[in-house]
Amino acid sequence: MARLTLERVSFWYPATERPALRDASLAVAPGEVVALVGNVGAGASTLLLVAADLAPRVVGGMIKGTVDFRGRGNGEGGRGIVLPTPWTQLSGMAFTVRDEVAFGPANLGWPRERIAGAVDRALDALGIGALAARDPATLSGGELQRVVIAGIVAMEPALVLLDEPTAELDPEGAGLVWRLVRALAGDGCSVVVATSDLNALPEVAHRIVWMEDGAVRRIGDPALLAENALCEAGLATTVADVWRTARLGAPYPLTVAQAEERWRQ
Amino acid sequence: MSRRHPFTLLALVAALTALAWILPAPAGGLGTAAAALALAAAAGPRRVLVPALVTAAPFWLFLLLLHDVPSTIAIGLRLTTMIASVVWVGALLPPGRLVEAMVAAGWGVTAAYLFAAALSAVPLLKARAQRIVDAQRCRGLSPRGGLGRRLRALRALALPLVLSVLHEVDERALALETRGFVPGARRTPLAPPRDGTGERAARWLLLVACGAALAWRIAWRG
Amino acid sequence: MAAVSAELRFGQVSFSYGTVPALRDVSFALAPGERAALLGRNGAGKSTLLRLVTGLLHPAAGKVSVGDWDTRGRAPESLARRVGSVFQHADQQLFARSLRDDVAFGPRALGLAAAEVARRVDGALAALELSAHAAEHPYDLPPAFRKLAALAGAFALEPAVLVLDEPTAGLDRPLRARVARALSERAAAGVVVLVATHDLAFAAEVLERGLVLDRGRLAWDAPLAALLTSSERLTPLGLAPPVGAALSAALDLPGRPVRERDVAHTLARVAAARGRV
Repeated sequence: MARLTLERVSFWYPATERPALRDASLAVAPGEVVALVGNVGAGASTLLLVAADLAPRVVGGMIKGTVDFRGRGNGEGGRGIVLPTPWTQLSGMAFTVRDEVAFGPANLGWPRERIAGAVDRALDALGIGALAARDPATLSGGELQRVVIAGIVAMEPALVLLDEPTAELDPEGAGLVWRLVRALAGDGCSVVVATSDLNALPEVAHRIVWMEDGAVRRIGDPALLAENALCEAGLATTVADVWRTARLGAPYPLTVAQAEERWRQ
Repeated sequence: MSRRHPFTLLALVAALTALAWILPAPAGGLGTAAAALALAAAAGPRRVLVPALVTAAPFWLFLLLLHDVPSTIAIGLRLTTMIASVVWVGALLPPGRLVEAMVAAGWGVTAAYLFAAALSAVPLLKARAQRIVDAQRCRGLSPRGGLGRRLRALRALALPLVLSVLHEVDERALALETRGFVPGARRTPLAPPRDGTGERAARWLLLVACGAALAWRIAWRG
Repeated sequence: MAAVSAELRFGQVSFSYGTVPALRDVSFALAPGERAALLGRNGAGKSTLLRLVTGLLHPAAGKVSVGDWDTRGRAPESLARRVGSVFQHADQQLFARSLRDDVAFGPRALGLAAAEVARRVDGALAALELSAHAAEHPYDLPPAFRKLAALAGAFALEPAVLVLDEPTAGLDRPLRARVARALSERAAAGVVVLVATHDLAFAAEVLERGLVLDRGRLAWDAPLAALLTSSERLTPLGLAPPVGAALSAALDLPGRPVRERDVAHTLARVAAARGRV
């Protein structure tokens, strides 16, 4: 049974005539990682806002179609979204990283011991235990990004929505986030992630959703990232792209490991 | 002092201000102003006392222009009490601690947040304005020089500051929502400030002192 | 494209925030037209180094100079005649109601004549293919375009040195290619380009020299290609080879190309020589 279902959803931001999302349908199962890929303006961020129940409820605008979420509101057993601008997502009420991460769990009214445990696990998962006592206002962009993700994960949501979660991160940090995504899915959490880090996806995503101009163009397994159409749209993995440019035969390999295997045959 | 319960700190500010106006001038005002400035000095001569004095100074100037010397002294001391004690509590009491105390005391999350947001808006705006000014200077705009130049720089700052803050408020609303900060949330206080019997007694004492002073003042006058 | 040409030079530069050291004894020089990547972990000191070039910070010890100007005696608004910069949060660098006015902000602040302002604005917008959006409000554009707009604002200063902090974060491949093209044009015209980035694939496409900071010290200053093909060197610095370089190492391609196009060409050549696919 799907945890999140979008059926023919269209969405218009306030005071706009063109829909930012057009007739989009998607179902996400528990424990599944779904990656939204597309160029700027493709509608991936909007789809996440709709899935998070923030558009149109908080953002305003108009929606058509149905969004069905099998879970509770925000946080525990519910939804959590990480927006691509970490510096606007601090609570403004915490003076240490630890309290910032605890902000969400505290709002859920959990007992203090449970909050402490969830915060420790989240800090650990993002590799920011050493920052626990720092003032969030003094962190760099990359550190902040990790704190914000930890703040959502600590609430133990059943559906995690991530918008460009690695944009501010160094390769180490990005690797950490992708490992975390896999671990969340392993625990039965569903993850929908919009990202331009296409090379990470073959190892992370179960399914790829190709979006263009507000609409879902194709849905498929990661092999989609090696198809000609995605190469042309600039949405294939680097290895697939290089293989195609070199005019070596299709199907193109997705990753360095696959390329190596093919090359040695 | 910063370890005291937030309500005690606020009670002290309220009591000093009330007493400054209730007690007869100039001795009353002199006493309360001295007390407020002593608190400010104890909290940090440079960090608290100097800003308090700098804030109070223009008020003295205006009073002197409008009033004779005795009234200037009377009102000036009272205003100085208010300003010094507010600057003092602003420097000593982080908004987060106040929110924790309010939540622990049974206030709604939203009311507490509005209060905290108002308290923390100033440093946030200052930081944001600083970043915009930095970026503008890197594109050649000089904020220094004559009055005309300063005014132009100020005008260049106002619009982007307002726009970026509005834009950020929108995004922050989304973030707070997704983190469960919604009206009616039953928030767990993480580190509720300790509120000893002594402190509660002290707050009652302050209230009683203000009441007594008021009664005495009315009786004495009457 | 640059009003003057100038070398960017750091001589034994140190800087601390209070008691926390951010940069220690950093020295390097970039000649006109040189394109360098500034690499390193989050918190290694990259942003601090860029702020020292803009004059927003001044070194505690050592000397930063842009051509014959020592930054020490200069405010950012004076250095803006030679240094163009884009920080990480482009949202805070847009100041006007239309994209066109925003890009004109710098040239106007420098006091240039209207015709010269118009020429520079047209050039900067065209370089980043933003001309069609000139009349739009910056906040009506998607974040990726706001990033390009901030870059256009820096281009319009026609600086001798361009310093950019993560210019490709949040950009898709077509927009990245736009930025790459525009930066290469600037460098070809003699502009020093210094880019702090985690995007090593972008760095490999556009930049030639690698400066790597590790906890405030300059740990590497050499051709970028030599760094990107060596995962033994990259790993301790918190970096990982970009996919193109990794592929060329994994397949043991001759010459170990790192740019994606070069990797593809070499791959095609070797495959043809092997007579199979």
